Amino acid sequence: MIKPILTAAVPLMLSLAGGTAFAADTIKIGVPVPLSGPYANAGIDIVNGGKLAAAKINAAGGVLGKQIELVPEDDGCDAQMGVQAAQKMVDSGVVAVAGSYCSGAALPELTALKRAGIPYVLDAATNPKLTEMGVTTVFRTIGRDDEQGPFAAGYMANDLHAKKVAVIDDNTTYSKGLADNIVASLKTDGVDVVYYDAITPGQMDYSAVLSHVATLMPDVIFYTGYFSEAGLIAKQAAALHIKAVMMGGDATNDPTLIKTAGPGAEGWTATTAPLPQFLSGAKGFVTDFTAAYKTAPGPYSVYEYDAVDVVAKAITDANSLDPAAITAALHKIKGFMGLTGDITFNAKGDRETAVYITVVVKNGEFAPGMMLDPAGKWVSVQ
Amino acid sequence: MTEFLQLVVAGLTTGSFYALVALGYTMVYGIVRLINFAHGDIFMVGAFLGWTVLTTLAATHMPWGIALLLAVILAMALTGGIGVIIERFAYQPLLNAPRLSILITALGVSLALENGVLLIYGPGFSTYPHLVSTAGFVLGGAQISYVQIGIIAVSLALMAALYLFVHHTFIGTAMRALAVDRDAARLMGIDVERIIQITFFVGSALAAVAGVMEGLYYTQISFFMGFLVGLKAFTAAVLGGIGNIPGAMAGGLLIGLLEAFSAGYISSRWTDVIVFAVLIGVLVIKPTGLFGERVVERM
Repeated sequence: MIKPILTAAVPLMLSLAGGTAFAADTIKIGVPVPLSGPYANAGIDIVNGGKLAAAKINAAGGVLGKQIELVPEDDGCDAQMGVQAAQKMVDSGVVAVAGSYCSGAALPELTALKRAGIPYVLDAATNPKLTEMGVTTVFRTIGRDDEQGPFAAGYMANDLHAKKVAVIDDNTTYSKGLADNIVASLKTDGVDVVYYDAITPGQMDYSAVLSHVATLMPDVIFYTGYFSEAGLIAKQAAALHIKAVMMGGDATNDPTLIKTAGPGAEGWTATTAPLPQFLSGAKGFVTDFTAAYKTAPGPYSVYEYDAVDVVAKAITDANSLDPAAITAALHKIKGFMGLTGDITFNAKGDRETAVYITVVVKNGEFAPGMMLDPAGKWVSVQ
Repeated sequence: MTEFLQLVVAGLTTGSFYALVALGYTMVYGIVRLINFAHGDIFMVGAFLGWTVLTTLAATHMPWGIALLLAVILAMALTGGIGVIIERFAYQPLLNAPRLSILITALGVSLALENGVLLIYGPGFSTYPHLVSTAGFVLGGAQISYVQIGIIAVSLALMAALYLFVHHTFIGTAMRALAVDRDAARLMGIDVERIIQITFFVGSALAAVAGVMEGLYYTQISFFMGFLVGLKAFTAAVLGGIGNIPGAMAGGLLIGLLEAFSAGYISSRWTDVIVFAVLIGVLVIKPTGLFGERVVERM
């Protein structure tokens, strides 16, 4: 493929020309997300969520008497562009990084940022590997795929009473990781995995795979890839009159799925970290975001809000702009009340308490579904 | 048996898109010996132009049938026009330059089209209105929709029309003369530049039909949708024997079937590997393709 190489080369040249100018009057926080390519909308939502947090902090006088400045960089959801984005942020003098969308880009970004000693607070990349590699500078305001896996499997086994499940991934880091976790959890729960294979994203027609899967008579078809393919899969499954419950992971929780699949999206169930509209602490955030950007906040912007907020808190606690001191302060964060709830990082940098819910497409929009209460019972999300 | 039939239908449907795009590759190669790598993106531009016309007309509360017909015709005309403009400014000055220059220009045009659409329509997905119903019938247990039949029929009809055009009209005869010897054709009084432009117009217009049909069928269109389709259609053209019109059609349908069978019976993750292995295999074993003709008589 020629395209990614060309697009990656241009930012590199720009970063070389840009030099390393350290501005003394603002505190720079990097935000690496896809700003081009198929997932750009999600990236823009995340940047906007971060901007709201920065605006709130700056309006209250900033941090250590300085204003916060976000430095968004396009990682294109691509490993190679991710490395470039990380390097650009290091060159522009960021003291910390709060961002991410695709795990596949976040992994190389983390490696590059670790080398520079800069802490990286992930807001949307959910692959367990990110916090399992022994890197001490990584944190995460969202749950992990190996927490979503057991949740999704438990929902299929205990709420849907599924006996046979087909699992399809798209071969990307995030999707494969989540699918592996779901398959392992389904086996623990005693559910038969009748099909487990990958599709290639970008092909428009998945009806061949779906007709093959249909012959295996699964109760649930679970797709762990992103919303664009999920929309096509939902539409084509409906056209083939497939009776199985169609499900997906948190990356299918996007209105584009409904626009693409139309009536075929009805009943699509996604397991996801709670959307801001279903979080009791984020009601004001939804109002502010909608007023400022004339669009719904998307699934991850609120986790970016908390990531920026928690970084600002760590800078205040450290009373220093030294990335090593900020990292140390992030490790000490205990019981910080973010919009998404209590943020306490464990030794690996993950949140101690990550909550998942299901959302279901009803009458053309995502409606809250079920969640697991602390007693281990399935209850409706209010 | 049910699954086999279902895979055949899926394969013929995707194959029809490849075939329509492959016709453009094959015509242009036949006439000017250029592998127009921007052709996949012309298909994408066609899909976007169709979408623009359709959504604009929808705002006027026009009956859907008429809006759709207008969208297809306008998309064909506009995309054909863009094809002619590309030919005039990007390829014509290089027609007598070394092959490599014009090939690289084609890649440049491809990037320009992709990024142009990215700038105008944005990076997200655009969605066609849900006009075509999923209604259909069951044959041998397989679910076949009327739309799928329609897509296959439209592409077969367009191929037949193109074949008749090339073999039974004056312009078609001139095209075939150009394919044999451009200079001799010029000496016989054929307006070579105009014929080349007509070739680009027809090829691009056919790609636009494929683009609009793809938009209606899958509903989701994006600025990078042309890349993979372009590669597959190019493979189809080579498989059928590049320069050969029925060959492009057969090649497209074969690639579609190959994809469906490998996804259904082997694994979807292997489809691209299998398709491109076939391309390499054909180039090694039978470079003229399945329907390959004598090198000089390419149309």
